[in-house]
Amino acid sequence: MKRTIDFCQKNLALVLLVTAGAIFSATTANFFTLTNILNILNQNAYTIIAMCGVALIMIGGDLDMSVGYHMSICGVLCAMMLTRTAIPVPVVVALTVLLSVAAATLTTFLTELLAIPRIFVTIGEATLFQGCAYVITNSKTISNLPAAFKNIAQGALGHPSLTYATLIMAVFVAAMSFTLSHTYFGRHVFSMGGNLTAARLAGINTRRMKYIIGILVGFFLGVAAVILIGRTGAAAANTAAGVEINILTGILLGGVSIRGGEGKISNCVAGILLVALISNGMQLAGWNPYYQYIAKGVIMLCALGFDMFQMRRRSVMNNQRKEEIVKTAAREG
Amino acid sequence: MPILEVANITKRYPGVTALDDVSMSFERGEIHALMGENGAGKSTLVKIIAGAESADDGEVIVGGKAFRGMTPLDAKRAGISVIYQELNLAPSLSVAENLFIGKRVGNSRVRPDFGEMNRRAAEVLRELGSNVKPETLVFELSASQQQLVEIGKALVDNCKVLIMDEPSAAIAVAEVENMFRVVRQMRDRGVAVIYISHRIDEVFELCGRVSILRDGQYIATERTEGLSRRGLIRHMVGRELSETFPRRAARVGEAALEAVGLTGNGDFNINLTVRRGEVLGLAGLVGAGRAEFAKMVCGDVRPASGELRVNGRVRRFGSVADALAEGVGLIPEDRKREGLFMDFAIDWNIPSMSFKRLSRFGIVSQKKAEALTDRYVDALRIKTPSTRQAARNLSGGNQQKVVVARTLAAEADILIFDEPTRGIDVGSKQEIYSLMNGLAESGSAIIMITSDMEELLGMSDRVAVMYEGRVTGELTRGEFSQQRALELASGYTA
Ligand SMILES: Nc1ncnc2c1ncn2[C@@H]1O[C@H](COP(=O)(O)OP(=O)(O)OP(=O)(O)O)[C@@H](O)[C@H]1O
Ligand SMILES: [Mg+2]
Repeated sequence: MKRTIDFCQKNLALVLLVTAGAIFSATTANFFTLTNILNILNQNAYTIIAMCGVALIMIGGDLDMSVGYHMSICGVLCAMMLTRTAIPVPVVVALTVLLSVAAATLTTFLTELLAIPRIFVTIGEATLFQGCAYVITNSKTISNLPAAFKNIAQGALGHPSLTYATLIMAVFVAAMSFTLSHTYFGRHVFSMGGNLTAARLAGINTRRMKYIIGILVGFFLGVAAVILIGRTGAAAANTAAGVEINILTGILLGGVSIRGGEGKISNCVAGILLVALISNGMQLAGWNPYYQYIAKGVIMLCALGFDMFQMRRRSVMNNQRKEEIVKTAAREG
Repeated sequence: MPILEVANITKRYPGVTALDDVSMSFERGEIHALMGENGAGKSTLVKIIAGAESADDGEVIVGGKAFRGMTPLDAKRAGISVIYQELNLAPSLSVAENLFIGKRVGNSRVRPDFGEMNRRAAEVLRELGSNVKPETLVFELSASQQQLVEIGKALVDNCKVLIMDEPSAAIAVAEVENMFRVVRQMRDRGVAVIYISHRIDEVFELCGRVSILRDGQYIATERTEGLSRRGLIRHMVGRELSETFPRRAARVGEAALEAVGLTGNGDFNINLTVRRGEVLGLAGLVGAGRAEFAKMVCGDVRPASGELRVNGRVRRFGSVADALAEGVGLIPEDRKREGLFMDFAIDWNIPSMSFKRLSRFGIVSQKKAEALTDRYVDALRIKTPSTRQAARNLSGGNQQKVVVARTLAAEADILIFDEPTRGIDVGSKQEIYSLMNGLAESGSAIIMITSDMEELLGMSDRVAVMYEGRVTGELTRGEFSQQRALELASGYTA
């Protein structure tokens, strides 16, 4: 019994996902079919790919709030290269990913230069990217993307709903899971999230690690942007606006701590899918979109509360601990 | 009637019984030492008395009133003040604000009367014999001054019981005397002081009675007069323990590390050499620059000028990783902030400097990591129910051992031990000393920074003393004396 409870607490997202899935299966015909499940995966492939990057950052003890507009501007630039230049599709894709990596590296550079947490730099950048995206698109949607490009995301293998997008996602998820749990690189990321000073004094080159993490994030976000506009066949300045909230909620539900140093990719995938299922359910139920925002906000806060609860469960909040928090807050703030 | 009693306290954690049916009592106007090996249950008892943890069984009786499941507020109201080993002040607030934190000063409900606050703070500080100004911000204070502020807080609270968990571990030797004076003053006001320490001399000098815990069990309470040092140790360890420094049969070889005119931030100029097979003791007061020197040597801080030679070749380390690659490793001073991953298990902490070495094609061998952990848990007798235990759940001394193990596991052969035995019990100290000897005998070079005089003179082949960023003198074994070391440390060079 205690074991079961423990399992549920550690894998909350997974348990909730299965519960939600069971409810939908019972109430909706055609929910629990291979096609539908593959469709859900296909629709969320880009979020999950982006999540791989964001989770990496969070486990390393940082936070990125520019994800949405970062992806939007990459998508817009990609679409413009596709429609207004004669650059071949594979080269466009490579350039897009490269641009994304460059932008993420710039973020890392700024955090190191200013010596402030990534969250603040990215809050600034989000607005910057948003502005740039609107300026270069003139607030218009770019459509008519070439078929060869759309095929990257939409092409299917074996089953009509098993898309390349889903396959690419699966490969990335597997690779990230493995990297985080089995390689020294992964352990170094966890160490940084656990105690950055101790990590540095343990001989982990934390500065270099931050750049590597930044590059990987850029890579994942670039690929996610390509998959997103490939699937929808169009790009606009607000294409991916706000996905960071879904991703963050999913990751927190997946058990990654906001303070870093812990988490499992598989649970994060479950978290993202859970958020997606809930949004989808609300849409199907025909909820007013504003109510959907309210619901999402509540879920996000619940996820934060869950994170707090996990922390308390781990360490008894004795006086010492409380004072410590006050102390760090005072030191940093 | 005793002011504080604990009766039949039992506290279990998963896999350990931290306290097993412990009863003892404390009188007004006494300084009562609480001693025992690492993990004996001292801090746990303190937390229960302070209401920070709840006991599984038993009660705490303060001034005749029995509490079961005491809360921190109960404890505070009953007049219990605790000074934890890690000081708990708000660094960006002034001394006065810290003294009166959470209290109403003046008539306004909203805004404290700062004039009044500073006046009253000045009074408290005067009483403590401190010349710190009430307006000073806490982060500008030295560790011992901060500790005085903590004692001041207890004074403001008008405490009846003052508990100090290893108060002397964090402050400089020269400042311990002043702390003693203040503690005695508290005693003379009728406060019952419970004093936890691993330093036996200190306990004999300061305390009237001593109670001993071993493995969570109450062993005895004795008056310190009439108790022998050996007797005390036997109570704590449960067997005879020789306390002499173990002999070392190391051959001193060529220079492993040389600092030539090494300059850090500010006024520095350090010239030092350590040879293979040698233990170089580095003495000095807090702020003498020893910690900065350690940071420069281990690659964490880039020297502003000067030269560092490792094995005869000039080296400029860009990071700790670079230094480790050359075999230079640091055991940091502040285990909580600089050493440990508190929420991670022991089998993560000990190999944490070695993950790269333990991997093939980037993949860490969990088996090797565990073997490495087991080896050091055995060698240093780290007391824990399992290597899966999070570092946070270890006792202070055992945490320190984990930090030592982690650097040793990285196979560095030029080692800087910064206060390696802080908070470690008598028996384990011997083990760490033997381990250092073993390292020296196998050709490692060791720099040992310590404020423990006995350790300094007992373990070093040579002692270098620093004062204000310079090495003011070196003593060879024949010239060792505590007097001389202290003189040099305070800048007296004649
Ligand atoms: N939160 C916790 N979870 C699990 N075990 C704990 C926890 N806190 C303490 N322990 C265990 O209880 C025992 C007593 O620990 P305690 O901190 O009281 O020792 P101590 O006497 O203060 O030792 P030291 O001299 O090293 O500070 C140790 O074995 C420790 O591992
Ligand atoms: Mg303790």
